[in-house]
Amino acid sequence: MIVSWNWLKDYVELPMPLGELTERLTLSGLNLEGLEKVGDDLDPRAPERWTDWAIDLEVTSNRPDCLGHIGVAREVAVLWNQPLSIPSPQPQEVGPAVSSLAHVTVESPSLCPRYTARVIRGVTIGPSPKWLADRLRTLGIAVINNVVDISNYVMMECGQPLHTFDLSKLAGSRIVVRQARPGESFTAIDHRQYELAPDTCVIADAERTVALAGVMGGTESEVSTATTDLLIEAADFAPLSVRNTARQLSLHSPSSFRFERGVDWPGIDWASRRCCELILEFAGGELAEGSIDIGVPPAAHPEIKLRFNQIERVLGITVPGEQVRGILTALGGHETHACDHCVKFIAPTWRADLTREIDLVEEVARIHGYDKIPEDASVKLTASARSHEDSARDTIGDTMVAMGFSEAMTLSAVTPEWIGCFRPWTTAAPLTTATPVLRRANCLRQSLVPSLLAARRTNETLSNPVIELFEIAGVYLPEIEEMPKELRLLALTSGGDFFTVKGYLEGLLRTLAPQWQLLAESWEDRLFAQGRGCRLSIAPASIIDGPALHEPKLQESGKPISPGQVSPGQADQKQLARDFPWGVLGELSPWGLKQFELRGRTTVAEIDLGPLVNAVQRVRTLDLLSPYPPVHRDLNVVVGESVRWADVERITRTHAGPHLERIEYQETYRDPQRLGKGKKSLLFSIQLRSSKGTLTREQADQARERIVTALGQELGGQLRDGK
Amino acid sequence: MALKDFLASLKSIRQHAQEAFAAAADKKDLEAARIELLGAKSGQLRKVQQGLGRVDKSDKPEAGRHFNEVKTLLESAFAEAQQRLAEAGASLPERETDPFDPTLPGKPVRLGQLHPITQTIRSMKEIMGRLGFSAVEGPEVEDDWHNFEALNISRTHPARDPLDNFYLATAESHGTPRSAAGGNAKGTENGASLKNKSGQRRPMLLRSQTSTVQIRVMEDRPPPVRVISLGRVYRPDTADSTHYPMFHQIEGLLVDQGVTMADLKSVLRLFYQSYFGSDGKSEADRVHVRFRTSFFPFTEPSVEVDMNWQSGWMEMGGAGMVDPNVLRAVGYDPEKVTGFAFGLGVERICMRQHGITDIRDLYQNDVRFLEQF
Repeated sequence: MIVSWNWLKDYVELPMPLGELTERLTLSGLNLEGLEKVGDDLDPRAPERWTDWAIDLEVTSNRPDCLGHIGVAREVAVLWNQPLSIPSPQPQEVGPAVSSLAHVTVESPSLCPRYTARVIRGVTIGPSPKWLADRLRTLGIAVINNVVDISNYVMMECGQPLHTFDLSKLAGSRIVVRQARPGESFTAIDHRQYELAPDTCVIADAERTVALAGVMGGTESEVSTATTDLLIEAADFAPLSVRNTARQLSLHSPSSFRFERGVDWPGIDWASRRCCELILEFAGGELAEGSIDIGVPPAAHPEIKLRFNQIERVLGITVPGEQVRGILTALGGHETHACDHCVKFIAPTWRADLTREIDLVEEVARIHGYDKIPEDASVKLTASARSHEDSARDTIGDTMVAMGFSEAMTLSAVTPEWIGCFRPWTTAAPLTTATPVLRRANCLRQSLVPSLLAARRTNETLSNPVIELFEIAGVYLPEIEEMPKELRLLALTSGGDFFTVKGYLEGLLRTLAPQWQLLAESWEDRLFAQGRGCRLSIAPASIIDGPALHEPKLQESGKPISPGQVSPGQADQKQLARDFPWGVLGELSPWGLKQFELRGRTTVAEIDLGPLVNAVQRVRTLDLLSPYPPVHRDLNVVVGESVRWADVERITRTHAGPHLERIEYQETYRDPQRLGKGKKSLLFSIQLRSSKGTLTREQADQARERIVTALGQELGGQLRDGK
Repeated sequence: MALKDFLASLKSIRQHAQEAFAAAADKKDLEAARIELLGAKSGQLRKVQQGLGRVDKSDKPEAGRHFNEVKTLLESAFAEAQQRLAEAGASLPERETDPFDPTLPGKPVRLGQLHPITQTIRSMKEIMGRLGFSAVEGPEVEDDWHNFEALNISRTHPARDPLDNFYLATAESHGTPRSAAGGNAKGTENGASLKNKSGQRRPMLLRSQTSTVQIRVMEDRPPPVRVISLGRVYRPDTADSTHYPMFHQIEGLLVDQGVTMADLKSVLRLFYQSYFGSDGKSEADRVHVRFRTSFFPFTEPSVEVDMNWQSGWMEMGGAGMVDPNVLRAVGYDPEKVTGFAFGLGVERICMRQHGITDIRDLYQNDVRFLEQF
């Protein structure tokens, strides 16, 4: 809302400097958005010199009363305790009764709660007086002719939009307020044609639509230089309907802006009279007697009780009762009751936003001044605890950073192609947004990996040599008839190979949940190079190893199992992978690299933070340290190619006995000549330690012997060269 | 010569020799020290030994014993020093021949970094934590109850407009966005939709504010509540240097008996004072907070908050007292409790602090950008 400094002075004295005016208006709710000096003196050739200030104030949607100069003047009057003088228009009626000159029918009262019309005949269209034109120019409103300018002037004076029709162009001298007919179109004063949706509220004459209610008039009935008879419309149109029409047709006007926010019922007739008064004065003509006024007045505003103690309860300061009453009265409220602990007010009709006690508290606060509220109150102390998840997530981020990763942040929405290229978490159709979030990205993502690969691609394009990125964010897995499941994931992309990245994940797990172990099962996906992808799971070591290590129990008497046969342990691991899913890891396939136009080797992993956070032992307890030295034994076991390290490790763990402290894998060795075809040898060592004494060589050898025997029975493993 | 004097000279040479051997940086140093101290002709120890002859006869056995002790000690200190230098020499075989250049770079360590937005959020969370606010999070896909209804945003409020929100597409058309502003969310082949408890279909959308989480927290527990909610929010905006359709918000909420706007102003002042880093001991460093009247459906009174910044005022975000309708919507009694809420745009503060001028840089993920924070 642009306000003219000169114009404001019509209603209230402005003894204060401009800066003080805008400062206090800004603090009390009319935020200064811009200030511009306007006027002829900026152009030295101008004959009559005038200057003005165009003050651009932001008006919040709850304050349509400030969309006119009078409303702003009222705020000034209240803030500076000045009298407010508002004109009371009394246009002289001379003609025949208006009902004999025009007819109005409102077919859609829900879209048009009130419609008023006055008729002036015999006007002379011409230029506006200079003072009026200057004021409109200050506001940046185009000056057209006296009648149109006056209707704009009155709108900017009181906030009520008006429309003037050329009465002679209205077929049957009729106004019909109705919904658009199917297939109806309309040419607006911008000379463009609009197709109208059936629920559009239109102003029609006996034949066709002549205006879009509250939005824009039409070319055919607009006031022209030939116009002599006018129908002046002042009405109320339903905010929602006006907004829909303006939105659908992208036709936003000062008029639609005001109707969308609601107009003041009594102000409608005031505006009509004011408009007629000015037209009679500056365009001549004769005003017909009376007005057409259709509509049922809204219920009167109710009484609002304001308890004085509520002011302190909400604001933290007291405001004297007299001052409270003064503020509310000056704002236009009507006091119906006052006692020592409360007052009752009826809000002014132009303040539909004031309906409750709290609304009055705000009025008192903003006029009294928020600067009176102290900024050094002693706020009660409270303990605050960080949630387990929150602190775990910080540790996860810190660990990733410690391992050399930069944190990325990518958009939560992706293109359908990205959804399709990697789907480890769901196969359900993605949730989509009605309008794309950005460019073609209209799918809520189901994996972070494609976004990270795209970020990787960006970095490759920029020739950044090292690209180690991770992101922690949500994915959205649709559920039927429910809110989607939002999984919080960690994804990473690295230039390292499979085992480098696996090492990162193991490091992460060790940091957060040292009692848990990482399990991997081969998993084929076209994003991953063949054999280089896996599904990951995590489980407590006690579950993976079976109870043997953690609570001694009778072993099943070992029947030898031939190599290749599935051992119960293996089956269990697969079950574990299903019971404790954690994520995926793999090196990108050529197909995957091509999808993201990547050149260099790329490994990605994506894990669900949920199980990891749950696994975190928040408060660690000390495992007593043994004072005795450890003993090491190396093993070099030849097994079939199909045997996996995970099984060797599990069996080793199970049979090493109670003193096993660590198993350390060293390498895999293949040599068809020496080992035989389809064989490999696994080199690893074990570290044993007792808490009760130094282990003897015999104890260590026995443990090693048990492991070798078990590996032989369960996996067909043999010591290389009998060693 | 008195025994006392003899022992004193022994003590002095012992101390001197141990220091000299330990300090020797290379073989040359050590050899020089050996000659000075243990030299057979004119070493200091030799001189002390000559003094032994002049000690009173009755004290000689004791003096001799002490002399031998010190001699053994010095010899072993010398041997130790020899050993130390030999070991050092073994690990640096070129040491003696090649010049050593300490200005060569160390072995590089790869260091990662947290995203600047994460750093900003962490720092804000940490400060608010000290002020007693616990961090909470909630879903990013929300229903209209949490995003609008419970926040006192009426069915006809423009904030619900489909053009201002990312409604999720569903197979069936759902009523609210249409009735709110006409442009109905388009149906797609996707069958996602949501029914509420009474079986009505409710639109889902990407949350446009983190206040949704505050509703969830209040629905979940009785007052007092003192939380900050934070996370990603989404609003349709054409991406440019200051707009992005996704950004981060932090919102604080305190509901209890006797919470006032003075508490709000004071908490915000403490927060800004802590966040912007100075201790506020001098008036120049002291942060002040200014409220400007504003309007939000979920607070009443509502204000925009400014803090003094480089002799002007800097806009920090919206705030206000929780609207009684919101308290009622979550089952609180507005006659018993009051509360305040405030919101901050994380990007804006992060960008201003780090001199980032284009919001899109935050989501480009160029490692040269990320490595600067």
